[in-house]
Amino acid sequence: MKKKIIAALNEKARAIERLAKGEEKTAAALGGPPAMPQGCTTIFDTGWETNPRPTYPIGNCQASARDFHGCAGDCWWPAQVPDGLTNHSDFDVACPNIARDWRNLKYE
Amino acid sequence: MRWQRLLFVGLAAILCAAAAGRAAAGERFYYLGYEIIQVIDGDTDAIVADIPITGASREAAFSADRKFLYVASNRHLVHQVDLARNRVVATTDVSNDGWDRVMFGFVLDPDGRTAYGGFMSRRTAAGEVVIGTPVVAQFELETGKLLRSVEVPWGVAHLVSVKGGTMLYAFGQDLYKIDTTGRDLKITGTLPMFERKMNMLPFWDYAFDNGGLASMNYYTPEFMGLMLVDQQTGEISEIPLKGDPAMAYSVVLSPDRTRAYAVMDELTVIDLVGKTYLESMPIAEGTCYAVNVSGDGRKVYAAGGGSTLTVYDAGTLKVLKVLQMASDGMDLRRINF
Repeated sequence: MKKKIIAALNEKARAIERLAKGEEKTAAALGGPPAMPQGCTTIFDTGWETNPRPTYPIGNCQASARDFHGCAGDCWWPAQVPDGLTNHSDFDVACPNIARDWRNLKYE
Repeated sequence: MRWQRLLFVGLAAILCAAAAGRAAAGERFYYLGYEIIQVIDGDTDAIVADIPITGASREAAFSADRKFLYVASNRHLVHQVDLARNRVVATTDVSNDGWDRVMFGFVLDPDGRTAYGGFMSRRTAAGEVVIGTPVVAQFELETGKLLRSVEVPWGVAHLVSVKGGTMLYAFGQDLYKIDTTGRDLKITGTLPMFERKMNMLPFWDYAFDNGGLASMNYYTPEFMGLMLVDQQTGEISEIPLKGDPAMAYSVVLSPDRTRAYAVMDELTVIDLVGKTYLESMPIAEGTCYAVNVSGDGRKVYAAGGGSTLTVYDAGTLKVLKVLQMASDGMDLRRINF
C-alpha cells in the first residue's frame, strides 16, 4: 500500500481533497493539451528557479526583480506578475527597467 | 593632373558606396532589452548605439550576409534591424490572419526571405475560444504569412537550424527532427529527452556566436550536462558534467572550445576536456540570463535578467567593467564585422 505522506489538517484542506459531486480530477501535467492559460509556455522546467544549491545564494533568482521581465513576458507566473502574453503585453513600456521603474507598475 | 583628381574622386566615391550598408569593422555585442536594443563596442566595451524597438525582445538571428539582425519580441513580432544604420527597418506580426499566435523558437531560412517559428495559436469563434494545434511553421518575413507547417507536440520552445537549413531541430519535452526539403514539413525523427529525465530551458543557444555549434545546458536528477548541436552536420553531443550541478540559464563556448561559461546567479567556468567545473563565483549584480565571450576569448560578458552587463577577464574572472543598461534584458549576442 502506498504510504500517504501528506495529510489534510483542517477543513479547507479536506475540502480541497474532496471532489464536488460530479467533479472529476482534471489536473493533467505534461499530457495532452495544457491545463493552463493558453500562451503560457509548456516546456518542462519546473523547479528551475528553486535553485537547490547547497551554498550561497540559496533560493530563487537574486534579486527577484532581475527575473521579473522573464517571468512576466512569457507568462510564467500570471498570478504574480503582469501576464505579458494576453492582458499586459505592453507593460514593459512603462517599466523597461524594473529595479528603476517599479513605481510605474499599474495592472490589475 | 585633372584626370588624376577625377580618378581620386571616383575611387573615393566607390569606396564610400562600398562602405555604405556595412557596419563598422570590429566586434559588436547586441543587448536585447525591453523596448530597446543597445549596441556595445567589443574593443571599448562602451555603449555606442541605442535602437528603439517595440516590445520585449526574445529570440534573435543574424542574417547570413551579416547586414541584419532579426529580433523577435512579445512572442509575435519580428523586427529587422539594419546593423549599419542601427535602426529597425521593418517589422512583421505573425498574428495576422485572425489567429493570435505566440512564437517560441525562431530561426531564419537560408533563402533570406522566410523564417521558421514554433507556434501556439488561439482565436474566438461565435464567442467560444478555439485553440489551434501547436505547429512549427515557415513564414514570410515581409508579411508574417504562414506558408507551411507541421504539427508538433505541445511544449516546443526552441528551434535550431542544421544542415544548411534542410533540417530543423525543435526542442520541447523531446527533440523533434523536422525535414524541410519536401513540399511539406515532416518530422523524421525524435531524440527522447523526457523519458531520460532531461530537463531543459533551451532559450539561448549561441549557435552563431559559437561559430555554428549550438550550446545548451540540461539537467537530470543526478547531474548537469551540456548539449551541443553541430549546425553543419546535425550531430548532437551530450556532455554530462562531473560534480554538483551548477545552476545556469545559458552557456556559451570559448572560441577554442576547451571551455564553456555558464550563468545564472553565478558565472561558472566549465572544462570541456575534463568534463567538469573549474570555477564558480557569484555575479555581484545578481541573476543573469545571458553570457557571451569576446572573439579572442579574453573577456566574458554576463548580462540580462536585470539591467546590467558585467565584463570579466576570462583568465582571472576579475570584473573589468559594469555597464548600466537602459532596460532589463533577455540576451546578449555577438558578431564580428
